[in-house]
Amino acid sequence: MHAYYLARKDWKRSILLIKCQVVQKVASESDNESAGTKRKKAKAEESWGDWQVEDDLMMDTEKEDFKSRLAPDVTPNRQLPWLTGIELLSDTNQNKHFLPTGLEGIDALLGGGLRQGQVTEIVGPSSSGKTQVCLSSATHVVDRNFGMVLYLDTSNSFSPFRISCFVNQLHPSLPKELKETSLQTIMSNIYCQSVFDIFALLDLLHHVETTLKHTVKLGGSKLCLLIVDSVSSVIAPVIGGKNSQGWCMMASVGVLLKRIAYEHNIAVLVTNHMVGGENGTLKPALGESWKGIPHIRLLLSHGFRSYCQFCDWQLK
Amino acid sequence: MEISNLPISPSIRSKLLSKGYTSLSSLSSISPSFLAQELSVKLEEAVEVLRAVSDTTTSKSAHTPNGIIPGAVTAWDMLSEEQMQRHISTGCEDLDAILGGGIHCKEVTEVGGVPGIGKTQLGIQLAVNVQIPVEYGGLGGKAVYIDTEGSFMAERAYQIAEGCIYDILDKFPSNSREFLSCKERLQVNNFLAGIFYFRICSYTEQIAVINYLENFLTEHGDVKLVIIDSVTFHFRQDFDDLAQRTRVLGGLSLRLMKLSKMFNLAVVLLNQVTTKFTDGSFQLTLALGDSWSHSCTNRIILHWNGNERCAYIEKSPSVPSASAPYLVTGKGIRGINSNFKRARIM
Repeated sequence: MHAYYLARKDWKRSILLIKCQVVQKVASESDNESAGTKRKKAKAEESWGDWQVEDDLMMDTEKEDFKSRLAPDVTPNRQLPWLTGIELLSDTNQNKHFLPTGLEGIDALLGGGLRQGQVTEIVGPSSSGKTQVCLSSATHVVDRNFGMVLYLDTSNSFSPFRISCFVNQLHPSLPKELKETSLQTIMSNIYCQSVFDIFALLDLLHHVETTLKHTVKLGGSKLCLLIVDSVSSVIAPVIGGKNSQGWCMMASVGVLLKRIAYEHNIAVLVTNHMVGGENGTLKPALGESWKGIPHIRLLLSHGFRSYCQFCDWQLK
Repeated sequence: MEISNLPISPSIRSKLLSKGYTSLSSLSSISPSFLAQELSVKLEEAVEVLRAVSDTTTSKSAHTPNGIIPGAVTAWDMLSEEQMQRHISTGCEDLDAILGGGIHCKEVTEVGGVPGIGKTQLGIQLAVNVQIPVEYGGLGGKAVYIDTEGSFMAERAYQIAEGCIYDILDKFPSNSREFLSCKERLQVNNFLAGIFYFRICSYTEQIAVINYLENFLTEHGDVKLVIIDSVTFHFRQDFDDLAQRTRVLGGLSLRLMKLSKMFNLAVVLLNQVTTKFTDGSFQLTLALGDSWSHSCTNRIILHWNGNERCAYIEKSPSVPSASAPYLVTGKGIRGINSNFKRARIM
């Protein structure tokens, strides 16, 4: 029994189908093809699982050949847009690592840390430590050489001083010169950009997506953690009211974050704030529609500080 | 390098793809007339497509050396910038110490407290202290004071400016020649001239002035502090629709954040308190709701501790929560110890 994981990019949804059938593999290309189709095949090969509307256009032009090539055959040169369950599991075990947040309690709750390919959300009332978790994660991820970190900041709370405090706590036994160089290396791999409205955020995320598609081939230090602190402050002013455009933009942001996370094997960490709900209790902002977007949601509360060990505070 | 990301019309894009042009590099060395023939489109449209391609490639090549996205700065560069940054002193040394030097630039600080605790006094003190010349350890910048309640008194500002100058001259005995030129600038009238005052009478005016601030700050580049006293006043009475109020305030705070980052200045918002019913008891919290509490970078709460006025840092990304007492004297905001010092000399 094989499990299919069908991922149609234009639908942006994953349907898990379990069928009792052998997987049909697509046959190899024939030699007498036009240059146009050769270009299209090359493009399809380089973008694994990248099934766009444009691919459908290409498919339309060679409909008859496509049907004949569905016969069970030789070696597949073209990747199918779907995976079997076995392939998914092996991919998860090999590629989807856990990125440490630096806080043992949170890592334990998350089963190891922030998972690559998933969107983790941290919700909490004011001054419950959301920004601190983000800063700590950024430091620890870069320290263990997972790659670069991009921090999108909406409330000017990215504090380089605080990051340097975290770095100094990491290896207290190092001599001073090594500490300085490690501080510089770590902090040079954390990029920070301020975002102040949702259009700028969408623009930036699109740019990140396009750049990532090319840096994969160039090699070098790759983006492994994307932090948006906080995504709710840019989304909250546009949702609500009579227009439903705000909800569409919120959905676009969510879908874009998930796509970036899945396709480029990146962990995405977003923070959300809380608003008043019924009976004076607090509930996470952005409503029910946003609830389904992050894969994991962590709730912080003020009592949290007593359970988790934050590092020493050092004033200048 | 994707055709799908080019800003061209969908019909042209589908024509490009059906002819096999899937990446920008395939379009880089084609003349417009050849492209027009291939796609059977007009020459102008082909020229537009090629222009879009060249725009994208040039903008991308300009961005790649910086890392992932344009304008992203590494934390290391920000650290060195931050260490050279001066802070605005509040007048009270204990409060400055727990704030990490004073009010930070590029951040939005919210100060809230019960009526009569000294919020407006702190606001006027900051508006005066930001103008302390660089040679004496200040920022040497001007201040914008947006008054919604009408609590700004020019006579009190005069008093506070006098007290500030007196303390500076006390602290730095002006023997050297360079200090003499600065001493001429230390006139009370100069200090008062450096405060730009806006009087706001409704929430629409408040929104308008914040929108206008960007133009104003571009003209007056030496403004280093914007104080809004108080940000709550007009939003508490005139708004029926609370959801709309939250949205409007969210937009306001984002704009203020952008201003503070763009012009490298400090924004201080003064807020009032309200009672909230949580866990079966009434508690004092800052007004404007839970969503507003996330719109500022730092939060300071002023409260009474017995007979003493106390400032408590509730929220800050870089300093821990701490409390410091302060006094409101005739000269402005001062710390407790300085008062004793003066008493001993006398």
